[in-house]
Amino acid sequence: MTPALSIQNVAKTFSTAQGDVRALDHVSIDIRAGEFVSVIGPSGCGKSTLMNIVGGLVDDYEGEVHLDGALVRGCQKQIGVVFQEESTFPWRTAIDNVAFPMEAAGLPREARMARARELLELVGLNGFENRFPSELSGGMRQRIAIARTLAFQPRILLMDEPFAALDEQTRLLLGDKVLQIQQELNQTTLLITHNIAEAVQLSDRVLIMSFRPGRIKRVIDIDLPRPRSSKLMGGEKFGQYVAAIWEDLREEASKGLQDMERVRAGA
Amino acid sequence: MAAVEQIGGRAAAPRAPFWTVTRLRVAAVLVIFALWEVAGASGLFYRGVIPSSALVAKAFAGLLGSADFWFHAGVTGFEVLVAFAIGGLAGAAFGLLLGVNRYTGAVLEPFLHYLAPTPKIVFLPILLILFGVGVGSKISLGAISCFFPMALSVAAGVRQVNPVFLRVSRTFNLTRAQTVRMVYVPALVPPLASGLRIGLGVAIVGCLMSEIKLSRMGLGFSAMEYYRVFDIPSMLAVLIFIFLCAALGNMAIDRFVRLPGPQDRVRRAR
Repeated sequence: MTPALSIQNVAKTFSTAQGDVRALDHVSIDIRAGEFVSVIGPSGCGKSTLMNIVGGLVDDYEGEVHLDGALVRGCQKQIGVVFQEESTFPWRTAIDNVAFPMEAAGLPREARMARARELLELVGLNGFENRFPSELSGGMRQRIAIARTLAFQPRILLMDEPFAALDEQTRLLLGDKVLQIQQELNQTTLLITHNIAEAVQLSDRVLIMSFRPGRIKRVIDIDLPRPRSSKLMGGEKFGQYVAAIWEDLREEASKGLQDMERVRAGA
Repeated sequence: MAAVEQIGGRAAAPRAPFWTVTRLRVAAVLVIFALWEVAGASGLFYRGVIPSSALVAKAFAGLLGSADFWFHAGVTGFEVLVAFAIGGLAGAAFGLLLGVNRYTGAVLEPFLHYLAPTPKIVFLPILLILFGVGVGSKISLGAISCFFPMALSVAAGVRQVNPVFLRVSRTFNLTRAQTVRMVYVPALVPPLASGLRIGLGVAIVGCLMSEIKLSRMGLGFSAMEYYRVFDIPSMLAVLIFIFLCAALGNMAIDRFVRLPGPQDRVRRAR
């Protein structure tokens, strides 16, 4: 069966004043329809580069990205991106934020409002349609961003550390929300994260990346029953997965830390 | 219930305290009036420099009834509006150019930064030669004054558009025109409003200053005439009129040049 998203031998080198830096080195990932895959790695492993390539925000790279078997390059409507940063428009209400892409696509007002209302309900924000982002919490704003991305039912949902700016408890609860949405829509998802527990809680598969140059170091299948929730965290198996991932990640993370300290010392 | 919790603490307090903001504001105005009256009656100042507010009010009413005053007000109003329009538009256009094009920005912005706080009145002699002693020199000085704060705020505004908004637009395949309309324009409203506010202020200053220096009409001229004959109540009345017009202009900018926000819903709900 053709994978929904296939990343084939993707590589990227940045030229800097200090010479060329190989950010990504021949990364290949296949994601089946309905699958939830996390990419985890230390700072500087190129995971943001990977996300920019798949999201279409970076055009000049080696290798290929295929969507349902077709070669794609650049931004695709079929790949919805949720960014790490605050990305809701402060001058739009919650519902108008969600309607944003539909407005750009020329959907009539009634149709896009009805769809936006559905999506807000999906992320549990019914009743907040007419609130402005400044009146909502960080977690709620990120749910608006997720709802906005889901407007056109993208084939792939690509999330770049969407909960990074949130506190731990909000993050866990939001993880539950994502699990529920994933369950409801059978949404194929690629999550970029540096949070081990989050990766285990949400994913079918976790890909561990090495420090520069970024490569897929190891793949861990998360064999935990669905539907899941954050209650999983108490289980023995959950702990074993976290430990196994850390085992691999530890070495890479300390390389990253050493590199950062070396840069600081040099500067 | 949940909604109230979410706005967190911003729900109305059970009982309004005695010193509400509005009451304090009214009190502040009354105190200033009282101080004015006391200072005028105290005899500490030269006679007539601080006339009683009743005299000023009478002079104000007199002005409003005089055709001569409205002629001068019309001249100044015309100068300020034309100066504001020319300076504002040119400033906004130039600011856009500086913000969008990194190289023009890098080349020209230092000049702009150091010229902006320089008093523009130094250009008056040149402007008098170029545009004559009539409204032309006043309008041009007002427009030059208005140009700088507009250009600087718009240039800064363009550069400060949150880059993640632009990435969001790209992932949703917005066209260039849509990105301008749906992201840049709303994101530029706050810097535009602050540029307009400062620009209006300095446009008024520019026009009035040049009227005071060399002119036979306008409110600046009119105030100086009252000063010359030592009609202090009328002079103050002219100044108060200018002050009120400037305040109204700023209120209009605040009211019309802004983005929708929570305050709109509160207003609608009431």
